[in-house]
Amino acid sequence: MASKACTLRLAPAATRGRLRSLLLTLPIAVWSLLMFFHPGTHTDPKSRIAATLTALFMTALFFMMMRTGKTYRWRRWFFVSLGLLFPIGFIYNLVLVRGTMGIPVEEMIAGRTPFCFLPIPLLILPAALTRTLVFPGSIAASSHGIASMVGLWLALTLVLGKGWCAYACFFGGIEEGMAAIPKRARIRKIDPRWRLLPWAVLLAMVLLSLALFEPAYCMWLCPFKAVTEYITARNTIGLIQNGIFILLFLALVIVLPLATKKRTQCSFFCPFGAFQSIFNKISVFEVKIDRTRCKSCGVCQNACPNLSLSKESIAQGETLLSCMKCGACVDACPQQAAVWHIKGTELAWKPERARLMFLYAAWAVAVMFGGSIIAQGLVTILHFIV
Amino acid sequence: MTMRAKLGYTAAALTMLAALLTPFLLIGSFAKGVAALPLHVDEIYSGGPKLRTVPMGFYSIAIHRPVSPHWLQSEKAFVQLDWTPASALPRHVSDLVDVDGDGQPDLRVSFDVPDNPKAPLRVNVEALNPRYEAMQNAGKDKFSRLIVRVDNGILVRVPLVNP
Repeated sequence: MASKACTLRLAPAATRGRLRSLLLTLPIAVWSLLMFFHPGTHTDPKSRIAATLTALFMTALFFMMMRTGKTYRWRRWFFVSLGLLFPIGFIYNLVLVRGTMGIPVEEMIAGRTPFCFLPIPLLILPAALTRTLVFPGSIAASSHGIASMVGLWLALTLVLGKGWCAYACFFGGIEEGMAAIPKRARIRKIDPRWRLLPWAVLLAMVLLSLALFEPAYCMWLCPFKAVTEYITARNTIGLIQNGIFILLFLALVIVLPLATKKRTQCSFFCPFGAFQSIFNKISVFEVKIDRTRCKSCGVCQNACPNLSLSKESIAQGETLLSCMKCGACVDACPQQAAVWHIKGTELAWKPERARLMFLYAAWAVAVMFGGSIIAQGLVTILHFIV
Repeated sequence: MTMRAKLGYTAAALTMLAALLTPFLLIGSFAKGVAALPLHVDEIYSGGPKLRTVPMGFYSIAIHRPVSPHWLQSEKAFVQLDWTPASALPRHVSDLVDVDGDGQPDLRVSFDVPDNPKAPLRVNVEALNPRYEAMQNAGKDKFSRLIVRVDNGILVRVPLVNP
């Protein structure tokens, strides 16, 4: 009986006809129109072109997800575009407004340092103990304000959980793109203990931020300072800080992803990613391994860009806490044993329904947040071309 | 379908609803909630609240409350003084400033005001009260020891000797 069920389930998964795929894509197409063409936006032609291209791009990717039944393959196009276009739009704006990528001390004092999500876990303890935000920004005010970014992070975390790292993070796309370049990994054996490193970095950075009363990760270890904004080197310490940013970027975002085909910065280093893992506990969507189908071939483990599967976790039918729901294991599994799942429901009972519900939610926020960043990057490129 | 499964699907549907409400309601509500928390940006960056303003004719000097560093912070305690508006300042400023409000001048602060707002600034501070540190030709050395132009003001931070 079990083998019969197994055979039935092994029917080719989730490829759909064009019409059905189009119908399933329709809500996302409408959502994209709503997000990119609401009244009062795009007064100039370049913005309109960028918005149109982005809306078409996001809708087309969703259509392909529906048509092929694959998630990771198409999500990656979005995510790499996001990772590459974010620095272009961001740096252009910085140079336009400030004239430099460096953060001058005047901007810090004026509270105009743009706040990204990475320091969020570092702010919690000083804020809880002294009501002080250890960041040279402003609390509310502009879209770059701390409250705006924390509000956005809270909303998206409610929807995505750790999925933030696969559908919203505007940094991870660079290394995901790098990891996609080589056909095979040069470094294949990675000691599983490396998975603990982001937690160690998180703990160290939280304690250091509390002790030194500064966002320690931003000041010393953020690899993405190399492609966004850096600390204006006023002295030797500033030069050392910028040197560290560039070295970490080259090592963790360029070289190691090329060598391992993994998102190494996310897997081995990112304290925000470790912190975000906690929110997988409150997320209703997850990826599970159906033990009745799994042949323990390890294909899913190799495919996971984030080291979120181990032999032990596969044996238990689980992904690890760090799973970012990118869908790589689901796409790769030849037995269709890796499945999307809604907590509380029976495993492998209509996994495509779970996938659809997750993808509608995740893609809606991806269009809203990541889409706007992609459009901004396109506007910048159009500005240089046209 | 079990009760757990029904709850699971309900939560999944609510998550989808949350995704739809994110741009219209959730981000704004959460941001307002965070902004309403009794939090402030570290005074090492913001310079602390203004205590009083001393009119000096065409311009004025705002005196801030002294700022003390936290824990292992690598800055000294300091007091911030703002000369505003920068556009009304003479080419050379040399002012006696009564920082603590006891009627006696505590500092003599001297700096040139270049026409180019992006030109680097240098300040000399003579300490008339031993509570304050003198500064010679200081620029943007540290958050607790600097002169910078921010918007239409020139800010000077003078370190304290024994806060």
